[in-house]
Amino acid sequence: MMKRKKLVPYYYIIPGLFMVLFFVYIPVICNFIYSFFHLSSYSSTKVFAGFDNYIKLFTNDTFPIMMKNNIMYAVISLIVQVGFGTVIALLLESKLTGRLRNVYRNIYFLPALISLTAVGLLFTFIYSPDVGLLNSALRAMGLENLTQSWLGNSKTAIYCIIAMSQWQFTGYITLLMVVAIQNIPRDYLEAAAIDGAGPFRRAVNIMIPLVKEQLLVCSIITIIGAFKLFTEVYSTTSGGPGNSSQVLGVYLYQNAFLHDKMGLAAATGVLIFIITVTISIIQIVVTKSGKV
Amino acid sequence: MRRRLGRIFGVLLIVVMLFSLTACSKSNDVSNGEDKEKKVIKLFHRFPDEPFNSFIEKIVAEYEADHPDIDIVVSSAQNQPYKEKIKVVVGSKDCPDVFFSWSGEFSERFLREGLIMDLTESFNNDQEWKNSLLESQVNEYRSGDILYGIPFRLDAKMMFYNIDIFKENNLEIPKTWDKFIEVCEALEAKDITPISYGNQDQWPSSHYIGSLNQMLVDNDTRLKDLEPATGEFTDPNYLKALEYYQQLIPYFNDSVNGLPHDMARNNFAQEKAAMFFAELVEITYLAEENPDLNYGMFSFPLIEGEGDPTLLTGSPEGFVVSANTKYPEESIEFLKYFTGPEVGKKEVQEVGWFNAGIGIVEGLEDQKLLEAYEVIKSAKTMSGWFDASLYSTIANEYLTSISDLTNGDITPEEVMEKIQKVAEEARNTSSTEVE
Amino acid sequence: MLANESVQINNTKKNKILSVLLNIFFIILVISIFLPLIWLLINSLKSNNELFNNSLALPSKWLFSNYAEAWGKGLFSYFKNSLIVSSASLILIITISALLAYGLTRFHVKGGNIIFFIILGGMALSEQVALVPLYKMLQAMNLYNTYFAVILPYIAFRIPFTVFLMRAYFITIPKELEEAAYIDGYNSFQIFYKIIVPISKPVFASCAIVNLNFVWNEFLFANVFLESKEIMTIPIGLMTFQGDMKANYTVMLAGIVIASIPMILIFLSMQKQFIRGLTAGSVKG
Repeated sequence: MMKRKKLVPYYYIIPGLFMVLFFVYIPVICNFIYSFFHLSSYSSTKVFAGFDNYIKLFTNDTFPIMMKNNIMYAVISLIVQVGFGTVIALLLESKLTGRLRNVYRNIYFLPALISLTAVGLLFTFIYSPDVGLLNSALRAMGLENLTQSWLGNSKTAIYCIIAMSQWQFTGYITLLMVVAIQNIPRDYLEAAAIDGAGPFRRAVNIMIPLVKEQLLVCSIITIIGAFKLFTEVYSTTSGGPGNSSQVLGVYLYQNAFLHDKMGLAAATGVLIFIITVTISIIQIVVTKSGKV
Repeated sequence: MRRRLGRIFGVLLIVVMLFSLTACSKSNDVSNGEDKEKKVIKLFHRFPDEPFNSFIEKIVAEYEADHPDIDIVVSSAQNQPYKEKIKVVVGSKDCPDVFFSWSGEFSERFLREGLIMDLTESFNNDQEWKNSLLESQVNEYRSGDILYGIPFRLDAKMMFYNIDIFKENNLEIPKTWDKFIEVCEALEAKDITPISYGNQDQWPSSHYIGSLNQMLVDNDTRLKDLEPATGEFTDPNYLKALEYYQQLIPYFNDSVNGLPHDMARNNFAQEKAAMFFAELVEITYLAEENPDLNYGMFSFPLIEGEGDPTLLTGSPEGFVVSANTKYPEESIEFLKYFTGPEVGKKEVQEVGWFNAGIGIVEGLEDQKLLEAYEVIKSAKTMSGWFDASLYSTIANEYLTSISDLTNGDITPEEVMEKIQKVAEEARNTSSTEVE
Repeated sequence: MLANESVQINNTKKNKILSVLLNIFFIILVISIFLPLIWLLINSLKSNNELFNNSLALPSKWLFSNYAEAWGKGLFSYFKNSLIVSSASLILIITISALLAYGLTRFHVKGGNIIFFIILGGMALSEQVALVPLYKMLQAMNLYNTYFAVILPYIAFRIPFTVFLMRAYFITIPKELEEAAYIDGYNSFQIFYKIIVPISKPVFASCAIVNLNFVWNEFLFANVFLESKEIMTIPIGLMTFQGDMKANYTVMLAGIVIASIPMILIFLSMQKQFIRGLTAGSVKG
């Protein structure tokens, strides 16, 4: 009798646990194994490769470019989305904005609701040299010499993609920060106001320290997002021109499904895994230790 | 009671999940559930755009009407996704029975793996079939003696030019490379963009390089290098080809790498440029984009080199049959119809494409199409599409490097170094694969 | 006292100026968000040639037919597929996660902490890492290119996040409620169904919306695991609008608009749940 009763909770747990183990953990583990093999999707050849795939990944000419692009994406996103996004949130909540602040906040959030492919296709078009919004607008303003082949130029391509993401996701971080600020107990801010603290000092000395946990979370998801980057690049340049806008995610995809180098793709996956999991662990450690 | 209910619920959930894992039906077979006796042939093509997709659907429907025991399930994907998807499904149980495949290396590696059917015997034993098709075009689907596919659409690359612009500037069709450069120079001097070119998707560059290689590189060397097991790309003429390409860069429009091919064509159609290196299948698009455009076409200008200038840049594009099909005979029968002269006649009238069927242009009035057909018919051998003829990593290296070369970020020497390196890797992999 | 008042007056004056400047700043930001979208709307109503001539001009003839064309050119079926995939995924994500969270929070389960840790750990694993093996597994299970090929991975990858949210909520439900129910003779499933579920509607709504935002827009899995046009979801369907040799750009733009409308409408009508879900989870969809 007792034993049976003890089993009851597991009935609730098993379906979900099974799904996660089967479709998340097992593939991730398989990916580790695959990364030590040469394998192909259409032939059954599976040859042990040792560290070949890793060597190929790290010695590839594209590797430094990819790392640079992923890191640039992370850094710029941190500055713009988290940094600037938080400033917007603070300004919105500064009580000086008036009743429109919720309207602003919602408008800034809108792009985050559009799918990445839709935004990618739209911006490919906005950056298009002859008909795109950007060059057309520059020409209309008489700034002909600033026009560019935005996505066709190896120097600008990746930055154009990064800019697109800032457009899409800054409002998302702003929204998260606004809610965090709204959750600050009123008494704190009122007490500070009575003490004569101006809006600026209130923001820096009181609001930011009280929302630092949310800030950390936002920074982490932004960095992790930067290393998982795929759709934004795939739907605009696919890594080109040359390899100038190549990133880890697209490289993985192309090797797996275009060049049929599934082992190399798996090794790239392992690298993404190590980077993202390390960052997640840092988050857990920092939050737990209360040093935020 | 309480416990039992909980348990029943838990068990139910697990059952549901296992059921969903194992017993679920394939979505694309759902439609055929009712008539189980029909033989299902899956057809996968890469022409989802209109009117081509509808044309294929119509042809298939007609075939089904004539063959009540056959059910053909059609699916399609766009060019680039198609390349990815077909590689994914070809080795699996989901492999379509009849599917599109480029001739050359693209299909030949499937052949090496035994994934597509050898059609040689069926073809040779069927005199009627053999005699109904243009031999030179069918031969493009041979590897050695083995026939592995049948053309569905013939295609080649020609230089299209705006006759009005040429007349206004007293220019003649350039037969040789030097004359070609002179023409470009003259146009440039008049502030007319000589050549419209969009390389955002990277494959258009491979047609330039392919044509140049044909002229400059010894044919045997070129063919040897196309094989992943022997490809070296050390012949200095490859470098020369890139240098010739470089000569053209000043005569292209700006932002070559930021412009898709179809926008470049539109610029040519709107008379914003004098020339455009285009495929014959684009004639119908040009007619749509500007019906009044007065244009003609000429072959890629001749360069004195070690290559074979009689090769026509391009390749028929066709269909192959999966080696794992449940219905080999029916699949071949369908392929025969689908790529035969009967369909070919409708094809050219309705969508402006030719297949290899003999006599398909009877009654055709469109002069541009007739001209195009002559070009292909008179070609002895085709060179194949360069990017589809190359091993995929080498093709990728070529395409990315040429896009860098076009931007001026890299020298021809550096390009060849990279390609030689990737070719070496490809040689090593294909030798380990043999083990 | 007087001095203090003048400071305050000064302050309100200063605040007014600040407020005006701030609003100007915010409106500039609004413009930068809207500009691409307005350009998108205008051009989605033009003919291709008009677009090529001047993308900044208003259409000479408003071609609402572009929308009909986009809808007819496959968007309808992509929409249907997205609806099927999203609703099936959502129902299963919510049900399975709710049961799991219930099992973890309302019982003393041996190994419960380890299970919770395993589930949460799933949040740190990204889709890319599982891509290649998942693809091989789905093929081996004969699921490749079926709705299940995306539904099952979506469920599995969204459970950790959803359980995380639900667990936090369930913990706050007072134990007394259940104890009373036990005395009334309810079994554990009845308690779940009759007590926990009704109280938890808000968190369910939040979870549903946030997951919908993920599933509706998901691209990587859909792109790899769905092959035929007939079962593609909207994000990949949109990519097919880029023709091979010829793209109808204005129709593609119309398609982008249609594809984006549902999520925006849902956000505007269910803002509260949306925002709650996003902030509680802080995971980028």
